[in-house]
Amino acid sequence: MAASTTSQVYIDVIEDVMVKVRDEFVNNAGPGEEVLRELQAMWESKMMQAGAVFGPIERSTAAKPTPGGPITPVHDLNVPYEGTEEYETPTAEILFPPTPLQTPIQTPLPGTADNSTYNIPAGPSDYSSGNDTGGNADGKGGRPSPFMQPPSPWMNPRPPLDVNVAYVEGRDEPDRGTSNQPLTQDFFTMPSGKRKRNDLNSQYNAGGYIPQQDGARDAAYGVFEIEQDICISFVNGGEISINSNSTISKGKMQVDLERSTSRIPQLDGPIPYDDDVLSTPNVSSDTSEKRRKLECKIPANYSCIYFSVNCIMLHLTLPPPTIFYFPSSYWVYFILLQIYNYGEVFTEDYNISNTPAPPEVPASTPALVAQNEVGNEFDDDDDEPPLNEEDDDDLDDMEQGEDQNTHHLVLAQFDKVTRTKSRWKCTLKDGIMHINNKDILFNKVCYS
Amino acid sequence: MATFELYRRSTIGMCLTETLDEMVQNGTLSPELAIQVLVQFDKSMTEALETQVKSKVSIKGHLHTYRFCDNVWTFILQNALFKNEDSQETVGRVKIVACDSKLLTQ
Repeated sequence: MAASTTSQVYIDVIEDVMVKVRDEFVNNAGPGEEVLRELQAMWESKMMQAGAVFGPIERSTAAKPTPGGPITPVHDLNVPYEGTEEYETPTAEILFPPTPLQTPIQTPLPGTADNSTYNIPAGPSDYSSGNDTGGNADGKGGRPSPFMQPPSPWMNPRPPLDVNVAYVEGRDEPDRGTSNQPLTQDFFTMPSGKRKRNDLNSQYNAGGYIPQQDGARDAAYGVFEIEQDICISFVNGGEISINSNSTISKGKMQVDLERSTSRIPQLDGPIPYDDDVLSTPNVSSDTSEKRRKLECKIPANYSCIYFSVNCIMLHLTLPPPTIFYFPSSYWVYFILLQIYNYGEVFTEDYNISNTPAPPEVPASTPALVAQNEVGNEFDDDDDEPPLNEEDDDDLDDMEQGEDQNTHHLVLAQFDKVTRTKSRWKCTLKDGIMHINNKDILFNKVCYS
Repeated sequence: MATFELYRRSTIGMCLTETLDEMVQNGTLSPELAIQVLVQFDKSMTEALETQVKSKVSIKGHLHTYRFCDNVWTFILQNALFKNEDSQETVGRVKIVACDSKLLTQ
């Protein structure tokens, strides 16, 4: 039957049911006709939402459905809408403000840190886009601001508090934080650190970006710029050549970075750096083509956590190879730095990080996990947000699959079912088919 | 008049069932009355199909599963082709549930 007739049959059925049930509602102390009308209105509205009944129902009662309409729509609509909405907006907002800062800080464990990092990526998509555009156009000054600005609204209020805590915790628990921090700073900063404190501070102060003067933040910051291709004086000041960073091919950048890293360890570089340095050069050589690759290639010694964090950062436009240099223990700290960068809140981290706490071994296990994740992320090319998106997509696909399985349904009465070998013949009647989201009524069906 | 509850699984039946569930949960409708409405729906739907619907459909497809239990045939067809007067549609997988029409006439 045509859809229009199907709709009409449904309307007639509803009407018929209403008429014949009316006595039960009105008499015998029933709920009354008002309830009956409500029932009809809700029923019809649901049918319209399901697409089984079209448009205005031509009846006296049809007008009433409106009250029911709102109710039903809510249910139906909710499912699809929620999926999208939650996914997009909530993730970004929620993840950014609360989780990233708090989680990493509160829980020193690598696992938590990973989560936070992942969460962060949702936001990063925005950043990445910004980076792409910003990096190309402007010089050093222009880029940082764009980065900072977006995150700032969320981050600004929270970061200070969270950051402080995080730093402290990171130090206390692993002890890594202290030693690691210097390392990170050194690697990043070696180029950056020296520059940062000198040049960067002035620049940042002028820009207002830099509150983080201490090494870690600065390093992160510099990384940001590099990825973006923006040249920061701080970065330049370091042994790493700004030119490579800002201008030309990423590969050059990497090479330069490698050099710098090698050099850097010497400067800042505390003991652990040597190892890092060694590893880094390898990485850099391998990854000379792309910065991202470099990160992936980071030696096992480095914690995966870093990577995860780094990956996020990368997506955010913070893919500096320097990140790789950092030991695993540093990861927590590193995350915090990133947050600061985003939030533009660069307050105390450095001091804390600077505070010497040489311990650091534990990072190895977390690092392994992180590496796997990192590798994937890098493959995605700065599309971390996609990770979340992909998950959603998968869910959607699953739902769609289920829907498809359950949606095609034929309800009928059979007159005769016969089989000759493998050939079946069936005669059905008085059926309702729901095929491809369309309802079809039929009086007779033969199938085989 | 005997009726099948079969059609309660259709779109219109599900919409009615959901509505009744909500109203019963809200306390605006008693469960007994809700059941009466459903029974009336069974009757009205069956009657409407008998009297108002005259279309014919043919289905062809690969019979993946067949089951006959409690006088109910269940078929699952794969790559089924549905044809009626106006159109035809292909469905990768469709479930057909059919009650014995003779039970209604007895």
